[in-house]
Amino acid sequence: MRILAFETSCDETGVAIVEDGRRIRANAVATQLVHQRTGGIVPEVAAREHLRAIDPLTDQALRHAGARLGDIDAIAATVGPGLIGALLVGANYARGLALAAGLPFIAVNHLEGHVYANWLYETEDVPLEPELPAIVLVVSGAHSDLVLMEAHRRFRLLGRTIDDAAGEAFDKVARLLGLGFPGGPEIERSARAGDPSAYPLPKAWLADRYDFSFSGLKTATLRLVRSLEEKGPVPVADVAASFQRAIVEALAEKTARAAAEHGVRSVMLGGGVAANGRLRSEIERRIGMPLRVPPPHLCTDNGAMVGAAAFFALRHRGAEMPVGVRSNLPLA
Amino acid sequence: MSALLALDTSTEWASVALFDGKTVLAEETWHAQRRHAEELFPTIERLLGHTRTPLASLDRVAVATGPGSFTGLRVAIAAAEGIARGAGAALVGISTLDVLAYPHASSKLRTCPLLPAGRNEFYAAFYQERNRKWTRRSPFIVGPIVDLCRQIGTHTLFVGEITDDTEANLRDLLGPLALFAAPAARMRRAGYLAELGWNELAEGKPAALGALEPIYVRQASVGATIAQPFTPPPADDQALGLPKRTA
Ligand SMILES: [Zn+2]
Repeated sequence: MRILAFETSCDETGVAIVEDGRRIRANAVATQLVHQRTGGIVPEVAAREHLRAIDPLTDQALRHAGARLGDIDAIAATVGPGLIGALLVGANYARGLALAAGLPFIAVNHLEGHVYANWLYETEDVPLEPELPAIVLVVSGAHSDLVLMEAHRRFRLLGRTIDDAAGEAFDKVARLLGLGFPGGPEIERSARAGDPSAYPLPKAWLADRYDFSFSGLKTATLRLVRSLEEKGPVPVADVAASFQRAIVEALAEKTARAAAEHGVRSVMLGGGVAANGRLRSEIERRIGMPLRVPPPHLCTDNGAMVGAAAFFALRHRGAEMPVGVRSNLPLA
Repeated sequence: MSALLALDTSTEWASVALFDGKTVLAEETWHAQRRHAEELFPTIERLLGHTRTPLASLDRVAVATGPGSFTGLRVAIAAAEGIARGAGAALVGISTLDVLAYPHASSKLRTCPLLPAGRNEFYAAFYQERNRKWTRRSPFIVGPIVDLCRQIGTHTLFVGEITDDTEANLRDLLGPLALFAAPAARMRRAGYLAELGWNELAEGKPAALGALEPIYVRQASVGATIAQPFTPPPADDQALGLPKRTA
């Protein structure tokens, strides 16, 4: 079964063709570079860019797969969570396409997409499917969610950030330190030359629960930088390393604890921050089993992950027509 | 058989129509508020079903491109692009203000459609017959009523989404120069969008798929721009007749 899938929940326009939920036939992504100028995402600008990109990307995806619409069996799109104006572009384009081509439309939860990115592959050799149950940590500029996947279509959100997303905290601290956007890779690069124990920063820790809070850490880092500035040039690498350690430890410890508590058989990552090497090594050190991480271009938002989630949704529940998009769509 | 599907979600009011080049086969106009995304597709499917229009005959799509609510406009434009690609249909974009003014072409009056632009401002343009051709005689304007009225020195028929307050304001500023269309005549109907779209396509002017842009008029501000405020539609007790001068 071939699914043509759309992702427009934030600042990436993604159109992909996925076969049987796993094999990527095309995965066209347009990243909106326009937001680099503002150092953050402007929702109205994001929606405008999605509308410009979506049809040309659809054409590109079909051509890359050597497919015509007649070769497609279903259409899928992210309907939430995300920016409403952005979601509306992808969802309405996709529904129009489904209606006119006489194909079923599958509404997809964006978080499930990040989870199912772990099922995707691009080459001839077929990797094993992740074993269930699994813990999945989805960390990006838009989310920091700890998900328990008991079985296909059975998800439980164990914890999430109560304020900033992890990627957002990376962005804000990177800006504070005069590093570029997005902040994750910039901080990681700078931190390599720094001492992670140079400055004690509060862990983004909430005791006895799986939720995260990063605003306290952000404020503490701001205060640290201001006080360092009074003494002379800020040791950027040391601050970056100390900040990264605090954020990574909170994410890694809660992920490992959830994995132990639920006796899972796999631990997986998703989201742009999953590219952080320090995060991966800290989680791996704690869980005593291999950590699954999709390649970087499948960790960030893309259409293929939506196509994968749509396939398993269809196989385990059947297609459904949603009544609309939702910025705060909960997990099934 | 050929059919054109017309979609308009430019403001709180939405409208969908099916047209075969001669007859408006079906039309639905409703107060969608902010439920465009939920209600657009069920409405399209209902109209296709009522008229027993097979999908295969759908070979033209027309969509209202504004000015209007940015988010609202993108709902219909994205849907129209998807439908056009899925059906292999020709696509055309028509300004929402053009659609509003078009039914009044035969009145020979200078016509000014108004749509809420938020912050007590309005989208507007002026239309008039010239050399026996109905044409838009101004660029698309956005601004407060006072600024708009400074450009008016002759009898002008107002149509579109005009509240009691706005109507009173216009009468204050323009006196007998301000004329108002009756409620049914001032509303925006996709049947007219369909007709304009059909004509445009007949002249061989389809839009390249993916090249349709809403008419934004105003630039995006960095603040809360995701949902522009909407004003309520005209009340039913505002029947004023067309055209009618007020003292
Ligand atoms: Zn995401």
